[in-house]
Formats: sequence, C-alpha cells, structure tokens
Amino acid sequence: MRVAQYLITMSIVLSLNFFLPRMMPGDPLSYLTGDPTADMPVAISEEVRERLLVYYGLNEPLIKQYTDYLINLAHGNLGWSIYYNAPVSSVLLGRLKWTLLLMGTATVVYVALGILLGALSAWKRGTKTDIGLLLSVFSFGSWPPFFLAMLLIILFSVKLGAFPIGGAQSPTGSHAGGLKLAIEVTYHLFLPSLALVLTHLSGVYFLTRNSMLGVLGEDYIRTARTKGLRERDVLLKHALPNALLPIVTMIAMRFGFMIMGTMFVEVVFAYPGMGSLIYQACTTRDYPMLQGAFLLIMLFVMFFNLAADLLYARLDPRVRRA
Amino acid sequence: MRIVKRKQIVCTLLALLLVSLVAGCGPAPTPTATPVPEEPTPTPPPVTLTLPGDDWGYPSPFARYPRGPGYIQMSFLFDTLAWKDEEGVIPWLADDWEASEDGAKWTFKLHEGVKWHDGKPFTAEDVAFTFDYLKEHIASWFEALKEQIEKVEVKDEHTVVVYLTKPAADFLADIAGAMPILPKHIWESVEDPKKFTGPEAVIGTGPFKLAEYSKEEGRYVYEANPDFFKGKPAVDCLVYTKVSDAALALKTGTVDAAFFWGKEIEAVKELEPEPNLEAIEGPSFWVLKLIFNVGRPPFDKVEFRRAIAHAVDRSKIVEQVTHGGAIVANLGIVYPGTSWYNPELPAYEYDPAKAREILDELGLGEVSLTLLTTGGFAREAELIKADLEEVGIEVEVKSADWGTVDGLLKEGNFDLAISGHGGIAQLHIMRSPTWPATVYKNEEYDRLFEEQERTMDEEKRRNLVLRLQEVIAEDLPVLTLYHPKMWCVYDPAKLDTWFYTKGGVSIGIPIPHNKLVFLER
Repeated sequence: MRVAQYLITMSIVLSLNFFLPRMMPGDPLSYLTGDPTADMPVAISEEVRERLLVYYGLNEPLIKQYTDYLINLAHGNLGWSIYYNAPVSSVLLGRLKWTLLLMGTATVVYVALGILLGALSAWKRGTKTDIGLLLSVFSFGSWPPFFLAMLLIILFSVKLGAFPIGGAQSPTGSHAGGLKLAIEVTYHLFLPSLALVLTHLSGVYFLTRNSMLGVLGEDYIRTARTKGLRERDVLLKHALPNALLPIVTMIAMRFGFMIMGTMFVEVVFAYPGMGSLIYQACTTRDYPMLQGAFLLIMLFVMFFNLAADLLYARLDPRVRRA
Repeated sequence: MRIVKRKQIVCTLLALLLVSLVAGCGPAPTPTATPVPEEPTPTPPPVTLTLPGDDWGYPSPFARYPRGPGYIQMSFLFDTLAWKDEEGVIPWLADDWEASEDGAKWTFKLHEGVKWHDGKPFTAEDVAFTFDYLKEHIASWFEALKEQIEKVEVKDEHTVVVYLTKPAADFLADIAGAMPILPKHIWESVEDPKKFTGPEAVIGTGPFKLAEYSKEEGRYVYEANPDFFKGKPAVDCLVYTKVSDAALALKTGTVDAAFFWGKEIEAVKELEPEPNLEAIEGPSFWVLKLIFNVGRPPFDKVEFRRAIAHAVDRSKIVEQVTHGGAIVANLGIVYPGTSWYNPELPAYEYDPAKAREILDELGLGEVSLTLLTTGGFAREAELIKADLEEVGIEVEVKSADWGTVDGLLKEGNFDLAISGHGGIAQLHIMRSPTWPATVYKNEEYDRLFEEQERTMDEEKRRNLVLRLQEVIAEDLPVLTLYHPKMWCVYDPAKLDTWFYTKGGVSIGIPIPHNKLVFLER
C-alpha cells in the first residue's frame, strides 16, 4: 500500500520535473548567446541555433523528449547539462558531497543542540537560564541569515583573521592529502556551519521546549518524581523520549530538505553546494540539470519521509498498532 | 556549559589552523604559511598569483562556457595566430601575415620551433586542421566559420593560406586573433568535442598548463609552461578561486587583484585608502539600452521615440544609480574612445518641455506603456518611469528574470525594455542595434553594415561606421543609457603589469586578464 503511494508520488514528481521547467519563458540556448551581466555576448544565427537545438535534442516534439528522458532515466542516465557542459550526474555528485558535508554537519549539530537546549530551557522554566536561552536563540534565529553570515566573516575572518573568508578548501589545498586535507576542509567548514546552526537552531529549540513543557506537566512525571527518582533521570528517561515524538517528523523533514543546500551560505561563503546549482540551472533554463537536481531532492525527501514513518512506529506503539 | 563547549571548539580549530599546511604549486596566501621546501638550486621562490574567479567550464576550446571569462581561462592554454596588447594587434603564433588587396586571401607565416604541451611540434598542418575542424564542429564564437572560410592551404611547414568566401575586414581581429589553434594529432580522432574533457583536451601551445580544475568550487590552477615559445611566464603558478566578496578577499590577502565594474565603484572607493594597493581604470565596451518596440504603435513614430529621448535624464541615471561608475552612453552604441566612435551625433539634451511639445503635436492622447526589465536594472527603470510620467506618459515597470526578459525580447512582445550587452569594441555586435530584440528593420542600416564588413580601406570603413551611428542616433531604435567603467585593483608587490587591452582581449573581452600580463615582456 505504502509502496504504491510512493510510486504514484514519484511518477507525478518526475513528470512535473520534466514539464515545469519547460513551461518557463525562455530557453537554454538564450544563455549561450549572452546575458545582461555578460561581458561578451554572442549573437548566433538561426542556422547555428538550429544546429544547437538538434545537438541537445531540443528540436524533438515534447512528448518524444519526455519518453527519451524516462528511458534514459531507467538506464540510470540523467543526461547532459547544457550550461555546465558535463554529465548531470557528475555535476550533481560534485556539489552533493559538499552540501552533505556542510548541511549534514550543521543539521546534526543544530538538531542535537536544539533538543538539549530546548529540554534544558523547559526544565529550568522561568529561571535566568531559560530566559537567557530563549532570548539568545530567538535573536539569532530572527536575524537575516546572510547578514549574520557576513557579520561572522567580518568578525572572525577580517578582524581576527582566524578563519578563511570563504571556499571549501584553500585554493591549492586539494594537493594535500589525508590529514592535511581533512584539517583544511574542517577549517573552512567552521564559519559556514556556525552560521547555519545559529539560524536554524530556533525551530528545533522552540518545538522541544514546548513539547517538553507539555510532557513535564503530565501525571507520570509527577509519579516518577514522587517515586524519588533523580531529577536527571526523570528528565532524560521519562520526559525527553516522550517529548521527542512530535519532533521526529520535523527533524526528518529538515534532513530531507537539507539536500537542497542553502543559498545564503553558499553565496556569502562562496561554498560549493546544491542551492546555487539549482539557482543557476533555473536562471539558465538548463532543463537536464533541473530534472536531475529535483529528482535527487525528491529521492532524499521521500527517503527521510519513509524513515520518519518507520521510526515513528518504533517510537510510538500506538502508531504501530493502528 | 554551552559557552565553554563552543569556546573549546574555537580553540581546537584555532590550534588546527596553526598546523595547517600549504601544498600545491607554491605558497598559498594563508595567514600562517609555512616556508616552502628548500629548492636544490638558488632560484628565486616560485611566484604564485591568486585571482578571484568562478566556474567558467573546463578550459578546452569546446567545453568552456561561451562567455568572456570562459574564453580567458582557455586562452592561457591555447594560442591564436595573432593576439592583442595595449596598442592593438600583435604577431603571436604567426610572425607575419599578408592580406590580398580585396581582403579575401590571407597568408600567415608561422613562428618556428613552437611546441605543444606534450612536446610535439606545432606546424601549418595544425592551423589548417583547426579551420577545417571548427567548420564542422560548433565552438562558441566561431559558429559562422562554415560560411566564412572557403578553404585553407598548407604552403609549407610554416606557411598557411586562408581563403575567405567574402572579404572580411575583421578577419584578423575576430578570427585570426581569437580562434584557438588545436593540435591535430589529438583532435582529429575526436567526434564530439563538447564532450571531450580529458587531459588531452587542454593540450595547447600556451604559456600555462592546466594543473587542476574544480567545477563545483570554481577553481583553476595553472602552472607555467617552461617551454613556452615566448619564454617562461613571470608567474609560476596562476590560481583562480571563487570568492563572494572580491574587495574583502583582496583586503585579507586571499587574492592579489580584484576586478570591478559599473555600480561596484563603491568597492573601488572602499579600497582606495589601502596603502599597498593600486588601481587602473579601463573601458567595459558594454552598453545599457532602452529598447523601443518599433513595430508597435506609438513607437513606430520616430518623433515619439525622440520625445522619449528628450524626456529621459540619462546623466541623472549615471549619477544616482551608478554613482559615477559609468559614462553617459554614445547614442550610436559604439564605445567612446575607440577609433570607430562618432562624437558628432544629435544629443537630445534633457528637456521635458520639448518632449511634451512633441507629444502634444503627435496628439496621441493618453499613453500608457510597460517597461520590461530584469531585477538588476530596477533602479534605472524607476528613474525612467518617473521621467516619463513627468511628460505625461504612464509607465508600468515589469520586472522578470533574464531568461523571461530575453524570451519576450526575441518574441517582440514588449513596449519598452531595458537590456544591456558588451562587445561594443567590435562592430559585429551592431548587426542589429536592438539586439537581443529583433524588432528593428532599416534597409539603409543593413546596407551600410554589410558594406563596412567588407571594406578593407580603414578610412572608408570608418566613414561608413560613423554613418551607421548617425542612423541609430537619428532613427533611435534604441536609446542608449550608459557605459559602465571598469577597474582593476591590485597589489603591485605581487604583480604590477596589469593593463587594459586595446579593444578588449581577443574579440573584445574587457576584463584585463590578458595572458601577456603574466609573461616576461
């Protein structure tokens, strides 16, 4: 049953991926002839335009292009990116590794930190700790992300000179191997992930805090306390697991969408990633690239959705029985 | 606890930073660069130059992206028959050349002793092969070669004769001075050159060899070619790396030069007080235009277009939007200061009263128009809207992304549009003054354009181009707005040979990344 649901969703998304980009005005060849920021426009003749259309298979009827796309996909071939002039799969993988590294690190950190701080805040409700946390998390979360990112650069990179102003590694760094490379990459990862953690923390924090507050008022918590359990055990063994239930869905979604990358970090820190790739592919009407990127996002989101479903059933016996 | 934890992370990372090492070809500009390993001979330490860049495609003549910087990245690896410096065209792979009287036959005498990066000798065969190959396969900028080249003859190992289908005055600058010569022994077996991206695809004769390319990080690393026929470059390692804020990158020493244009004058001003930096200014060969849809009333009336020209205060746009980062444009499109520039065109001085007068005479009644623009020119659009409303024309600004705007322009589905392009150092871009829209047809213009294309006599040709500009300024299919300026801000201690190429690099790329900058001259 669930398999059928996923298959239907998949086929709808696949078709949307194909047709939506083609419904946007303009076409991929426009980008080959110059754009407003271009220093060097290229005016091509009709005949050359025809040759290019044939080369990219864009002269075929739409329905033929669609079936070709599906057949290629079935063979594991995502096509050739028009703008990037490379196989879609290799461009995607090139970006994906950086996005997974950056977003993965940041997501794990802000989810863990959000849960911990949220639980702490709820437990210390009304105290200075709670209010201090509430205010700081809230204020970081409400700053425009790019502004926060630039502030971090100015503070840590320009004033203190402690971190690089951007990039995923130093320009000649990838010649180094092993440990050196790992250090290089971590060093460049720090500021962008800090920016992400600060801006994304508030969602998880507030949800955990609220959920925790609700649970802490339950009878079984009072029972646990009157049994004489240590406060730490009450909190970590009785309250937190129950409070986490509503958070699981949210976290799964966060992980699913993490694949899309984050524009602001990628732009401000010149960090390679999926966000700017999708933006660029959209701007240049690079149909094969868009199809590939959206397909990847779909698979990711569906995977984490499924994971959340299964996890939920494990965490909550009521769901399993229903 | 939270704070302590974060402090620990910062401390750990700072400690890691101290031991971070530098590798690759030469020292990178990290704050704690460790000394370069001792060289066996007492040669000066290798010079590494780091410049702001982006991904412009794998730097082969076919896989590169079609825009200017893509060509530049490729031009470090590949050479052309002729090249340009600050004075104009200079011999490059060809020592000398001769054109027949009518300009349809060109004989090139090639430099002897040139070697490909793989050690094989460069000969006339390679040149002839390149012409033939580019006729069959699409390479950006040389798409029309099929129609332009009749045949190419190899006279001897170092002499090649090119026969054109029709005389082309710009052959030297636009083709001989721009077309990268390919090694025949590599490309003769390549079927689909766009998809050929192995290490052999970047073997040229150029001053640099490609050491590394990262598409996702927008990074190129080149190392000097010690066997380059004009001598080993002054820069041993040339690095292009993506940065988000070039001014900041220059300030922190992440890059050794940064390049700005137009509205980015703010960054140039910000860098001015830095004592260790210098700046040079150059032309952009770029124009922002207000395009009229001359096929659509009331734009079909030239008086109406002139009224708009009187109503729009172009110098206000230059002052308020570009903050002085541009000059008011030549109404004839050609970049001021180039030899083709016509300084004596009708001016259409800003005069709303006169505009209103013309409009009254036309008796059009209520006029309301849409003004199409991309987000980047929203401020310009607002000023134009205010100016036109001042003379009683209703304007609705419609902003869209460039793909959409370009689509609408090509369909001819607009009233007024703001659009810009570069390349106005060269004349071929003037084929259609309203480009990328194709709404304008004028027989006299087309005749003049085609005539100048095949006129070899410099003076005669100049007169034709002057007349071409008059037609645009009188007939006004477009109202040109401004030409941005360009700047190169650099650290002279690293490299102080920056210059702006006359008429732009190759077919008119305005950025100062001419490979000559990195050579001993």
